[in-house]
Amino acid sequence: MTETLAFLLPAFLVAVCLVGIHVYFGIQVLTRQVIFVDLALAQIAALGATVAFMLGHSPQSPAAYGYSLGFTLGAAVLLAFTRFWATRVPQEALIGVIYVVAAAAAILLIDRAPQGAEHLKQILTGNILTSGWNEIAAIVPLYAAVGLLHWVLRRRLTASAGLFWEFVFYASFGVVVTSSVAIAGVLLVFSFLIVPAAIGVMFSSSPARQLAIGWITGTLVSAAGLAVSFAFDVPTGAAMVCTFGLALAIAGLLYPLLRGDRRKASRTALATARWCAAVLLAGAALQLALAPRADQPLLDALETAFPSLRSLYFSRSEAATFAEASETAERHRAAAERLNDLEKRNRTEGEALDDVSIGRISSFLKSYGEMRKGEQFVMNEVRARARERVRWGASLALLALALLAAPIGWRRRPM
Amino acid sequence: MVLRVVLVAACISLASPGLAQDRIQVVTTTTDLRSLTEAVGGDRVAVVSLAPANMDAEDYQPRPQDVLRLKNARLMVRVGLDYDLWVDRLLAQAGKPEISRGGPGYVDASFAIAVLELRGMSVGPGDGHAHGSGNPHYWLDPKNAEMITGTILEALARIDPDNAPRYEANRTAFLERLRARLAEWESKLAPLRAMPMVAFHNRWPYFARRFRLDFIGFIEIKPGVPPGPAHLAGIVRTMRERGARIVVREPQEPERDVAFVARSAGASIVTLAASVGALPDTGDYIALFDANVAALTLAAGLQ
Repeated sequence: MTETLAFLLPAFLVAVCLVGIHVYFGIQVLTRQVIFVDLALAQIAALGATVAFMLGHSPQSPAAYGYSLGFTLGAAVLLAFTRFWATRVPQEALIGVIYVVAAAAAILLIDRAPQGAEHLKQILTGNILTSGWNEIAAIVPLYAAVGLLHWVLRRRLTASAGLFWEFVFYASFGVVVTSSVAIAGVLLVFSFLIVPAAIGVMFSSSPARQLAIGWITGTLVSAAGLAVSFAFDVPTGAAMVCTFGLALAIAGLLYPLLRGDRRKASRTALATARWCAAVLLAGAALQLALAPRADQPLLDALETAFPSLRSLYFSRSEAATFAEASETAERHRAAAERLNDLEKRNRTEGEALDDVSIGRISSFLKSYGEMRKGEQFVMNEVRARARERVRWGASLALLALALLAAPIGWRRRPM
Repeated sequence: MVLRVVLVAACISLASPGLAQDRIQVVTTTTDLRSLTEAVGGDRVAVVSLAPANMDAEDYQPRPQDVLRLKNARLMVRVGLDYDLWVDRLLAQAGKPEISRGGPGYVDASFAIAVLELRGMSVGPGDGHAHGSGNPHYWLDPKNAEMITGTILEALARIDPDNAPRYEANRTAFLERLRARLAEWESKLAPLRAMPMVAFHNRWPYFARRFRLDFIGFIEIKPGVPPGPAHLAGIVRTMRERGARIVVREPQEPERDVAFVARSAGASIVTLAASVGALPDTGDYIALFDANVAALTLAAGLQ
């Protein structure tokens, strides 16, 4: 427990650093309406690293970093220009083209390089969980310098600045994104950039307040994402991205409640929720009536959560068959696992098993697998038949529930 | 595009009769099988591997020319065990019954191999590789080369019976060489017996079984899914408790994650090649084990 938390501390500090700089850039990016510019810059930096790799430099060498930086600066020039070119075509379209061309060019290049594909992947898929103190030591001065530069030049680096200042903006952003993507991966960096900034912009129009809201929500949501990842032992980056998505959804739902006509907003929210429930229930009713043997997502989910629901529609003999098949399947699984463990232990302990014994274990495992599949087939068949039997009644009940849930006006006008 | 492919195909098929008379064209899915096929076929065969040495053959994205390579081939050797599923579509496109499943020139090298870590047909929960048909990295046990080359020999003798004695002599000579080396590798790795180690990915059960190595955990349990915090902490704790000093990584696996685990547990990283050609000095099947054994003994000696 404490060990895991000790792992999460550097990850959290890195997240705080990334939130610190990316919320600021996120607000700028939202103002300039160049949402995907970070993806384009990261991809260009990866292209630079790929070129360096092709020329024989090792991925972590200063030369590789130099190439990355050179390409990023080149891209910054290009991006600064796009705002002035983009008169009839939106700038976002040009940014998208830069992104896909950089990605495709890198694929063409690495096709010729040994291990190239994996190196390219590593540049773009950092894992925040494996952040170390050395990385914190590297990014803190870098981000502080970039932040300071932007503070000093805050009057110049506006969305309506000239070409040179536009270049400075994209160049410094490129430097930040290149390092952050290598640490946290493209998906998480995009979330750091856009979600807290969007929440800030949503709830305030003053830049200072936007920044403060962004920093606070970004830090809290990062902590929540890490907690989710810790509690369920799931991949940290993906858990954090989903938490950020959820935070934006909650903020979006709260906005009309906090800022608009509260009563109207809550009425709309309730009606939407009821419509969703009604559609879900009616869909489940229809699916059960028309295709009782097919997957029933709603019923399956409910049954997984509350297995006792099965007793509502299983006959006694069906329930017995189902339970027996389930037990037998589990027994086969356990037996197979025991054999696998035996073989694994035997690799290093005692006398080595000969190939004949290994072959025998292997064919036993195959049989256990088949038998388990057979039991699972029995379970599915029993359930499908029980559902077929009760489909009309259950569908009607679900339909009635759907009608109850739907906010249809006639229920309010009785008589 | 289609026209160009057809033209290229026409050119190659016009040029190939001369070549085909010289050597039997063989296509393998991986470089390991290429090396073993060359060991049996000798100068009578011209072998190309579809997946290059430098990438995970499991994730290989076929190229347009691969269909042409298969069209010109008289023998196709694959790993099987759901490892190189992508070749099925290529075979369907090539439309050559001789080298398709059931044809005389179709070789599934996993035939008669004692498969490890079979977990039924379902890609179920629990740790392990996401392979329903067992762990497919069986070529990493040098002993399995006997079975693999046997299967290849049988197929070569079937499509080119005149030269069967030559193939048999090639195989016998190769296996003799391999046996001598195997004894040497086993004695070199003997001090590492039961020494706890961690690998990035569960690619080494056959290697571990042959050389009696103890892989106590894997950083990435499911291919492509980054590990969760509790799992990672568990790996580091187990490594500390059992005094694991070595983390095995392959050249294409993420340096950053492996370095993190090694640093946290105070272990050193060994880069091993799981396929012929994945590292310098792993040009053929025997060199592959030479390099891996040397790297492992070096790392163990560094403690």
